[in-house]
Amino acid sequence: MKAPENTPVWTNEANCKACDLCVSVCPAGVLAMRYEPHSVLGSMITIIAPEDCIGCNECELACPDFAIYVADKKEYKFAKLSDQAKERAKKIAENDYMMLGA
Amino acid sequence: MSKKREVIASGNDLAAMAAVDAGCMFFGGYPITPSSEVMHTISDLLPKVGGVAIQMEDEIGGVAAAIGASMSGVRSLTATSGPGISLKAENLGLAQMAEVPLVVVNVMRGGPSTGLPTRVSQGDVAQAKNPSHGDYKSITLCAGNLAECYTETVRAFNLADRFMQPVFVLLDETIGHMHAKAELPTVEEVKASIKPRRKFEGDPKDYHPYEVPQDEPAILNPMFQGYRYHFTGLHHDRDGFPTEEKETCRKLIDRLFRKVDEHRDEIELNEEYLLDDADILLIGYGSASLAIREAIDRLREQGIKAGMFRPITLWPSPEERLFELGQKFDKVLSIELNQGQYLEEIQRAMGRKDIQKLTKTNGRPFSPQDIIDKVKEVF
Amino acid sequence: MAFNYDEYLRTEKMPTLWCWGCGDGVILKAFIRAVDKLGWNKDDVCVVSGIGCSGRFSSYVDFNTVHTTHGRTVAFATGIKLANPDKHVICVAGDGDALAIGGNHTIHGCRRNIDMTLIVIQNFIYGLTNSQTSPTTPRGFWTVSQKAGNIDPTFDGCKLAEAAGASFVARENVSEPRKLEKVLYKALAHKGFSYVEAMSNCHINLGRKNKMASAIENLDWIDSITMPKKKWDALSEEEKINYLPTGVLKEDTEAEEYCDMYEEVKKVHQGLRPKITPDDFKKKI
Repeated sequence: MKAPENTPVWTNEANCKACDLCVSVCPAGVLAMRYEPHSVLGSMITIIAPEDCIGCNECELACPDFAIYVADKKEYKFAKLSDQAKERAKKIAENDYMMLGA
Repeated sequence: MSKKREVIASGNDLAAMAAVDAGCMFFGGYPITPSSEVMHTISDLLPKVGGVAIQMEDEIGGVAAAIGASMSGVRSLTATSGPGISLKAENLGLAQMAEVPLVVVNVMRGGPSTGLPTRVSQGDVAQAKNPSHGDYKSITLCAGNLAECYTETVRAFNLADRFMQPVFVLLDETIGHMHAKAELPTVEEVKASIKPRRKFEGDPKDYHPYEVPQDEPAILNPMFQGYRYHFTGLHHDRDGFPTEEKETCRKLIDRLFRKVDEHRDEIELNEEYLLDDADILLIGYGSASLAIREAIDRLREQGIKAGMFRPITLWPSPEERLFELGQKFDKVLSIELNQGQYLEEIQRAMGRKDIQKLTKTNGRPFSPQDIIDKVKEVF
Repeated sequence: MAFNYDEYLRTEKMPTLWCWGCGDGVILKAFIRAVDKLGWNKDDVCVVSGIGCSGRFSSYVDFNTVHTTHGRTVAFATGIKLANPDKHVICVAGDGDALAIGGNHTIHGCRRNIDMTLIVIQNFIYGLTNSQTSPTTPRGFWTVSQKAGNIDPTFDGCKLAEAAGASFVARENVSEPRKLEKVLYKALAHKGFSYVEAMSNCHINLGRKNKMASAIENLDWIDSITMPKKKWDALSEEEKINYLPTGVLKEDTEAEEYCDMYEEVKKVHQGLRPKITPDDFKKKI
């Protein structure tokens, strides 16, 4: 694994099986699924709002497939959890974890 | 002429002593008549030399622990009787598939099922050829006297490490429980004869344990020494990982056969007794051969020239020698303490159906007179 | 830099063959983090697995690994450990593997208190073979072998392990990966037999026909039937039967460990100490 520079959260799409778990545990609406016709389940993990990532690491811990990683708190200055981010997370969950407006 | 030593012991004790002298450091087993004394004796001998003997919770656990220890790199033994082999069968298949050496001493008793636990039989000969499901080649040795309980066990350890698979040593209740004097090679001689399993010495990056010539066994390094690979009972690739790739699967099973078939000369061992001038060929193995030998001596006193062919390696069978003998001898009698399990192999190897048979399955051994009577009756 | 799992993975085997959202992967990751925290050398670790989805666990980690027969994991591991008492041996098995076909080995591994960790991936079903009843399938659940609804009572693997003599027993949910890592760390560091029940989801073969077809729904259900031990302890006996306690359920650091005791056997046979008698043990019967 090679960590990209100055990035709070990144994915390995080759490992992602689109189970939605990471999206379901993200408190900040940073993640959502996009339609992806070539994926087995027809969707794929996408980082939609990296600037709102609070570095809680929940997505990485919940991912069974080594498909999502979060930077170390010592190496990246993460955002604080905002109401707007929380609201987006709620809407994404209500949208079956799919990207809003997609 | 190598030096000999005389030891008074039972066949089961001799098998245990041989294992320890051959460098066995692990025993896993479960009590079963008539083999339990192997466990009793080795549980005294192994801790003395720093090894481990464990009585597991069942037969399956006994063989599994022994295979586990062997996977880690130590010579391992299990001992049982026919019902125990039935229970161990699945894991013996794993050892065949993953190419894990193991010596299995099977002290045969009457069967099927619980049968006659305290009485003699040679009922596990067919079972030893294919105890588990699937295709593989068994290596099965059969001790015909007390000394061979020792020497064949030593040989079994060397064959197991040479061919990386389980090797059976068949004793039977008569020989296992027979307590008498045996002439054995010295411990020094045994130690000098030990051929440890092959080991890959190069860079771990270049190590592919199952990537070997098509007539050779896998080279499985001991665990915990920097060569990390995978054991599985699934069809596997050169590093031991599961695969369904058709050519890899074909080659694996082909190799399990060829590694044995193409090295029969290293495995086969027979005894021929007074065959040169004989008119009648008696074929037998294990404890039955003791009565056969006595019968031959008495028949010869009466002017009847009989001789014996005794396979010591039962599987793979000495098919070429059997074919030659089938051409040479018109009168052939197969003698077994079962309903003719090896007779089928003799018929196959000789390409003949007219072989006489003497069988017994009432738990009693043959007496020489049984054999003399049969010879006089049929020839 | 995030945690580098690749150091412990056979990366060429990724992605795993487990279904999307399968808890096995969460357990695999928690296990790797726990081993990393312990700082063990990869060459000193042996992972032994049985048959079932959990059987593939061993093939993904870059240790000495063994994929054995159905249910026999602990028995194979016992041989490996006794022959190499200074090495770390970890068993991974499913609930059917460890509690049905391999129940006897689980019981006796616990009884010997041999120093190894058994991780039971408990997903309440036979997953790999497609939805047959396991010893932990709740009554009334649909299974492919009991389509009218399962009538077989369940049993509690942790209680079994505790009664059989395991000196460390814990349970945790895959929906709590941090806690799972913590109990795995404790279990691995524990000397003696440690039994960890990792409660996992099988939304495919348990969930689809039992109204929890997604990983998230299945995990929510597991959360609804479990609670931390402290909270569980405070429940009435009537309430307790419908919940499974999580966290460390037993930790006995005094119990004699089997490999250590076998060293005493060796000493007896080598004439270095007198025979072992009941006086050598605190527990007499």
